[in-house]
Amino acid sequence: MNAREALRAGVREISANKFRSALSFTAVSVGVASLLYTLAQTQGMKQALERNLELMGPGRMTIEKKRDYVSKGLSGGLTYADAVALRRELPDLYMVDPRSSYSLTVHYGGRKLEGVDVAGTTPDFRKRDWVYTLRGRFLNEWDVANRARVAVLVQPAGWVKKPFWAKFWGREDDYDKFAARVDVLGQRVRIVDSVYTVVGVLTPPPRDLDPRWDSWSTPNAFVPITAFQQTFGKGDASADLVDEIRVETGDERTLAARRRQIEAILKRRHRGEEDFEIKDQREEIESEMENMRKYVKAGLALGIVALLAGGIGIMNVTLATIFARVREIGVRRAIGAGRDDILAQFLLEAAMLGAAGGLAGVGLGLGGVKWLSGLGGTRDLAQPTVLHCLGVVALASAVSAGFALVPAWRASRLDPVEALKAE
Amino acid sequence: MSAPAAITVENLARTYQGGYQALKGVTFSVAAGEFAAIMGPSGCGKSTLLNILGLLDRPTGGTYRLEGALTAGLGDAELTALRRARIGFVFQAFNLLPRLSALENVALPMAYAGAAVAPRLERARALLDRVGLGRKGEHTPLQLSGGERQRVGIARALANKPALLLADEPTGNLDSTSSAEILALFKELNAEGTTIVLVTHDPAIGASAQRVLRVKDGLLA
Ligand SMILES: Nc1ncnc2c1ncn2[C@@H]1O[C@H](COP(=O)(O)OP(=O)(O)O)[C@@H](O)[C@H]1O
Ligand SMILES: [Mg+2]
Repeated sequence: MNAREALRAGVREISANKFRSALSFTAVSVGVASLLYTLAQTQGMKQALERNLELMGPGRMTIEKKRDYVSKGLSGGLTYADAVALRRELPDLYMVDPRSSYSLTVHYGGRKLEGVDVAGTTPDFRKRDWVYTLRGRFLNEWDVANRARVAVLVQPAGWVKKPFWAKFWGREDDYDKFAARVDVLGQRVRIVDSVYTVVGVLTPPPRDLDPRWDSWSTPNAFVPITAFQQTFGKGDASADLVDEIRVETGDERTLAARRRQIEAILKRRHRGEEDFEIKDQREEIESEMENMRKYVKAGLALGIVALLAGGIGIMNVTLATIFARVREIGVRRAIGAGRDDILAQFLLEAAMLGAAGGLAGVGLGLGGVKWLSGLGGTRDLAQPTVLHCLGVVALASAVSAGFALVPAWRASRLDPVEALKAE
Repeated sequence: MSAPAAITVENLARTYQGGYQALKGVTFSVAAGEFAAIMGPSGCGKSTLLNILGLLDRPTGGTYRLEGALTAGLGDAELTALRRARIGFVFQAFNLLPRLSALENVALPMAYAGAAVAPRLERARALLDRVGLGRKGEHTPLQLSGGERQRVGIARALANKPALLLADEPTGNLDSTSSAEILALFKELNAEGTTIVLVTHDPAIGASAQRVLRVKDGLLA
């Protein structure tokens, strides 16, 4: 019996029992689709993580004000001066980027834009998480040293394909609408009471292609931290405060040691008060990934359960098929089929049913992944690879054949004489 | 030295589970090229005997030699190989596979014997020609009359050029015209050298046979 004939015979048997076959076929295909989806998600998450860690840098940490900390009145809080001190005392740090931001009112021409997210920062901002295209120039050291009234504005890039939820959920604020229409490069804008010259325009990647973990937190405008403090600060001791200082050692191996040094320096400067927190962002991402991995495992389990349900369906189909064809088995044995021929016949039928269900599942899975990706909001979904597809189809047919093994084996052991007597 | 007998059985017995003795010790032989009919009342053990001769069943006592060779002690795979190569089976109920065409039914035993597709189909066509159904190869069993089905069944039994053709009441489901045609076919095959052992109730067939083995209550009468 050659393979093509055996396959043809299998197709004939499967299509002769459409309803029975359809049931197990469906279960297998759902199992395969959900496995495929899970694989796509795992793959996507892995890629996203790798891109993120790369963007973020190997020795990255963020210093923030400690939450719910009540000051004893000794410390002046986390300040720009702290950043300057870190830079001076630990000159080998690759990046020390203090940042403050306020939601402010911007005037341009006759227009008044409320709630514009303005950040004060330093040229070090460029050193990590830089995903922008820049027209004009970014802030430089001279700007910071001279409290230059220069600003770099962010022009939102929108979406390549807008996800359905963004159509009614995603806010398009005044600033975004304005920045999308008006090119302000080289123009003057008034932020609250101070006039700034726009020396650069930053465009982030389209939202759905932005590789950053926290792409939503991009401010609308950047100005030198020094100018920021001078023009928007309250003019008292709090004027030097910053929201956070982003630090990058440049090397994963120095992370722990630098962290301890930074802690010591800040504690000394804050007169013993530990009113700051050093966060390892890689840890944060990794713990988030850990969470997502749990979901993935659930998805994987679901896929396997569905596949097993499909397998049990196929076992049922095989049992029913064999029960309905006992006489045929007797006839085949009488005209020269061996036990192995009978076993192979039923295993092959089951494997084909499984493979067909698997292929349908791949179609379903690919379609589903494509659909979900089209909806957006699932940039972590990788396209399943050919290998994944072949793998799950092979798995589906192997599982099916596995479940058919016992019934098929029993069929092969039937007594030919008894089988021939069956109705 | 003469060729060994096609079939030699000595004291052949078959006791079914539960203790029923369907065969109580029969001894006979069938020479190569002979045409033998097994006759006897219903339930006397004819089919039981034929199944043992066809290596579908094993005796519980006595010996069975096929073409001189003892069959006792052979495993299932060896029995299958012998059956495939040396024996053709014809059934009362035809037992064609309903989803296969006449041609495919005839070709199936050759597939189990490992023949390649082209020679297999060629021989199947020749066999259908031989039984007078050359133009109905693509028909499924349901599209054939009873007599035609049995002719397909005979063509299938001949597929692997068996030395021994066994038939269990091959005309039991046929009208007299068809029965006569089938009998004529068996006679031709026998004239060409095939050993034939068939179970029948039909006196006409019994009269055509060179030898009639009469079974009664599990014994040869
Ligand atoms: N598997 C079996 N178990 C018990 N008794 C059986 C079995 N097969 C056949 N018999 C009995 O053996 C006897 C002979 O059966 P069989 O050879 O089929 O008779 P027939 O001569 O009509 O072909 C019958 O009485 C039948 O009931
Ligand atoms: Mg009988």
